Amino acid sequence: MSITLDQVTKRYQGSPVVNDVSLDIGDGEFFVLLGPSGSGKSTLLRAIAGLSGVDHGRISLHGRDVTHLSAKERGVGLVFQNYALFRHMTVADNIEFALRVRRVKAADRRKRRQELLRLVALEGMDERMPAQLSGGQQQRVAVARALAHKPEVLLLDEPFGALDAKIREELRRTIRQVQRELKISTVLVTHDQEEAFALADRIGVMNLGRLLEVGKPQELYASPATRFVATFLGAANLILARQTKDGIRFGKTPVSAPAPGPLHGAREHEVVAVVRPEEVEIAQTREDLTSNYLTRGTLEELVFTGALERLRIRIDDGPDAPPLSNSNGSGPALLEVTRTQHEQRAFEIETGQDVAIGVRRVHILPTPLSSFTACATSESLAEALVQQPLLTELASRMKTRVSLRVEPKLGMPNADCETPLVFSGTTVIASHSEVAYQAQWLLQRGAEEILVLPQNAGAPQRVLIHWADESVRRATLAVSASILRHVSAEAIYIGILPTHTPAAQRPHGMRALLDARSEAQAVHGLEMRTELRFGDVSNELVRQLAELPGQMLILGIRGNKDLAERFGSLFADAHWPVLIVHREHEGPSA
Amino acid sequence: MATLKQPTALKQPSVLPGFGLTFGFTTFFLCAVVLIPLAALVLMTASMTWHDFVKVVFSARALGSYRLSFGASFLAATINLVFGFIIAWTLVRYEFPGRKAIDALIDMPFALPTAVSGIALTTVFAENGWIGQYLVVWGIKVAYTWIGVTVALTLIGLPFAVRSVQPALLEVQRDLEDAAETLGAGRFYIFRRIILPTVLPALLTGFTLAFARAVGEYGSVIFIAGNLPLKTEITPLLIVIRLEEFDYKGAAALGFVMLVISFAFLLMINLLQAWGRKRLTSRVR
Repeated sequence: MSITLDQVTKRYQGSPVVNDVSLDIGDGEFFVLLGPSGSGKSTLLRAIAGLSGVDHGRISLHGRDVTHLSAKERGVGLVFQNYALFRHMTVADNIEFALRVRRVKAADRRKRRQELLRLVALEGMDERMPAQLSGGQQQRVAVARALAHKPEVLLLDEPFGALDAKIREELRRTIRQVQRELKISTVLVTHDQEEAFALADRIGVMNLGRLLEVGKPQELYASPATRFVATFLGAANLILARQTKDGIRFGKTPVSAPAPGPLHGAREHEVVAVVRPEEVEIAQTREDLTSNYLTRGTLEELVFTGALERLRIRIDDGPDAPPLSNSNGSGPALLEVTRTQHEQRAFEIETGQDVAIGVRRVHILPTPLSSFTACATSESLAEALVQQPLLTELASRMKTRVSLRVEPKLGMPNADCETPLVFSGTTVIASHSEVAYQAQWLLQRGAEEILVLPQNAGAPQRVLIHWADESVRRATLAVSASILRHVSAEAIYIGILPTHTPAAQRPHGMRALLDARSEAQAVHGLEMRTELRFGDVSNELVRQLAELPGQMLILGIRGNKDLAERFGSLFADAHWPVLIVHREHEGPSA
Repeated sequence: MATLKQPTALKQPSVLPGFGLTFGFTTFFLCAVVLIPLAALVLMTASMTWHDFVKVVFSARALGSYRLSFGASFLAATINLVFGFIIAWTLVRYEFPGRKAIDALIDMPFALPTAVSGIALTTVFAENGWIGQYLVVWGIKVAYTWIGVTVALTLIGLPFAVRSVQPALLEVQRDLEDAAETLGAGRFYIFRRIILPTVLPALLTGFTLAFARAVGEYGSVIFIAGNLPLKTEITPLLIVIRLEEFDYKGAAALGFVMLVISFAFLLMINLLQAWGRKRLTSRVR
C-alpha cells in the first residue's frame, strides 16, 4: 500500500471536518476523492501532504509512518487549483525548485527538467515566465514541478477547477498519461463526478467529513450503498418500495430487483430504490413497455440537451402510486428521465401527454432508514414535530420525506391504532415525561425505529451508540452508520459492564468492544471510537449524555415489554434525541 | 477608423467627462504647489556666485548636517524596513485579540503633530526619562545625540513602511509557501526565495516613502536632537537658522542640495523598482 490512512480525524473549532477516515491506496493507483465543497476532501489531501496536522489517527506513505513529519520531510508532489507557480521565476526555475533545494548539480537539474517538460508537452518553454503562459500550460508546469523530485505520491487538488472545458479535457488526458507512464500513486480531489469517472481507478466519495463509499466507478454508479452516493454520482430517482416475502414491490406492482438482504422478522418493510433516469422507459401504453411496468404519469417538462433529452414526469396520484422518496414539502417530486436520440425517434411525446412508465433496472439501497413519519396525538402536535430542526435537517440531507400520522390513543395501553397499518420507516415522536410509554406502545404495534425528539434539538456533534442485547448489534450498527452518513458527528460506542464484574471477565468486555468496532468498520463502513463503562446501563448513559450538549443516543433493544422500566430515565424530559432501534428477533446473519 | 484620427487630447479615456478640465487643474496645481516654488528655489540659488555657493554648501557645518540628515534618515528607513515588515507580517498572518487596535495604532504617527511626538520622545529618552535612565546605565545616550534623531525619524516613518508592505503580503498566496514546502524547502529558504522576492517592490516603496519623509522631517527632530552644530544639527534646521539670519540665498542653496540628493535617491529606487517589475511581467508576448 502506498498511502494508508487509519482513522484520520481533523477538527476545526471543535467539529470534525475530516471524520475518522480509513483508506488504503495501492501502488500506482489513480484514486479520486469526490465530494461537494466543504466535504473535507481538500483538508484530507492537505493532511496527506503534511500541510495540516491531524487530531487523531495515522498516515503512512509506503509503509513509513509520516503522521508527525512535516510536508518538507514527506516530500509528496502537490498540485494546486490555482497553479501556485512562483511568478518571479522562469518555467525552468520553477521546475528545478525542488532539485535546487536538494542541491542537485546544474547538469542533472537541466536533464531532469527537459525530461519533465517533454512529459507534459511543454518543450522549449524553459525561459518563459509563468505570466506568459496560458492557464492550461501553467498547470502543466505545476505538474512537472511537483514531479521533479520523483515523489512517491502525487496529490492533485482540483487541478482543473480554473480551466475551461476544452483545456480541461486535454489536461486531464495529459495527467492520466503521465500517471500511467510513471506508475505513481495519485490522489486527485474534485467535486466533478464526470472528472472522477474519467480518471479514477477507484473513487472515494466524501460528505460531511466522512468517506462514505469507495469503489470502482462502474460499481459505485450501478450499485451505491448510500443515498448520498446514489444522488451525487449522477442523477437518481429515489423511490420508496416495500420489501416483502415475495420480493420487492412498488406500491402494489412487483418489480424484479435483488433484495439488499434477508427480510428480518415476518413483517414486510420499507426500502429505498434507486432508479437512474436512463433506466426509465416510457411508452404509450403498458403493453408497449419492454420493461417492468411502474405506473402512469404526465409529462411536465421536456428539455433538449443535444445527445440526450431530459424529461420530468409527474406520477399519477392513486393508492398504488409508488411514492418518490424526495417528495418533501413543496409539492410532489417529479420523476427524472433521460432519453437518447434513438429512444426519442421511437416514441415522440410532448408536454402534458399521459404515458406509461417502466423501469429497466432497479437498485435497492441497503440502508435501513427509509422515510420518517411524525406521529402525535393531534394534527397540530404532529405538524409542530415536523418543524423540528433535527428532523427537517435529516430529511433534507437524506432526501427523504416526512409524513404525518395522527394517533389520538398514542401511549394508551390496550388501545388500537386508528388505522391498522404497519409503521413503516422511522417513527418520530416528541419528548415529554410520558414518552417512554408512547415508544413502548409503538414498539408493540410494530414500529422498528423510533426517534424521540426533544424541543429544538439540532444536529448532534457526538452520537453515542449502545445496544442492550448482542442480538441487535448488527441492526443498531446499520442504523447508526446510516444516520452518521448524514450528520457530521463523531460516533462513540459505549460498552457498559455491571459494576461488580469480576476482574477475570473484564478482558472479555474489552474484546466485545473491539469486535463491535471492527464489525462497524468492515460491514457498515462506520468508524467509531469505543469506551467501556462500569455501572447501571441507564444511569451510565444518562450521565454521559448530560455531560456535554449536542449529543444523541442510538439505542438498540430487543423485545418491547420493558422499555419504560429499563430505560425510562433516558427519555423523561431529556434534552437529547434518542433513536431506538428495535428488533424482535434478528434474522439469520447474511 | 475615423475615430482613430481624432487628436488624442480630445479622446475620453473614461466614462466620466471633462478630461480637458481635470488635466488643466492637474497642471495648474502641480505648477502652483510644486514646480513654481521649486523653480524659485533654483532661481534663487542661481543668483549666487559659484564661489559663494561652494562656500555655503561645503562648509563644515553644512557637511555635518547632510551626514546626519541623510545618514539618520537612511538608518531609520532601514530599521522601518525590517520592523515594518515584521509588524505587517504579524498583522496580516495572525489572528489575535487586539489586532484591529494595533492596526489602527500604526497610523498614529500620521495624525500626531510632529512637535508632540518630538517632545514625548525627548521626555522618555532623556537621561532621567522612563527609558533613558536605564540606557544611561549602559552608557547609551539617546536624547541629544544622533541616536535620538534616528529614533524620531523611525517613529514618523513607520506607518509608511507598514502600510506599503501590508497589501503586498496579503497577496502572497499561502499556496505558494505550501507548494515550496512540499517541494522540500525549509522556512528560511521559503522566506528568501518566495516571500521576499514577491514583496520586494512593496518593501522598496515603503523604504522610499519612509526615507523621503525622514529627510524632510523637522518638527519632532529639533526637540530631541540637541541641535549642536557639526554634531546633532539636521539640514532642515540649518536652513531655518540661515533664514533667521536673513541669509535667504544660503538657505536656498542648502535647500537645493537637499533637493538634488533626494531626487537622485528617489530616482534610483524607482529605477530599481521598474527593473524588478520588468523581471516579473515584461516578457509577456
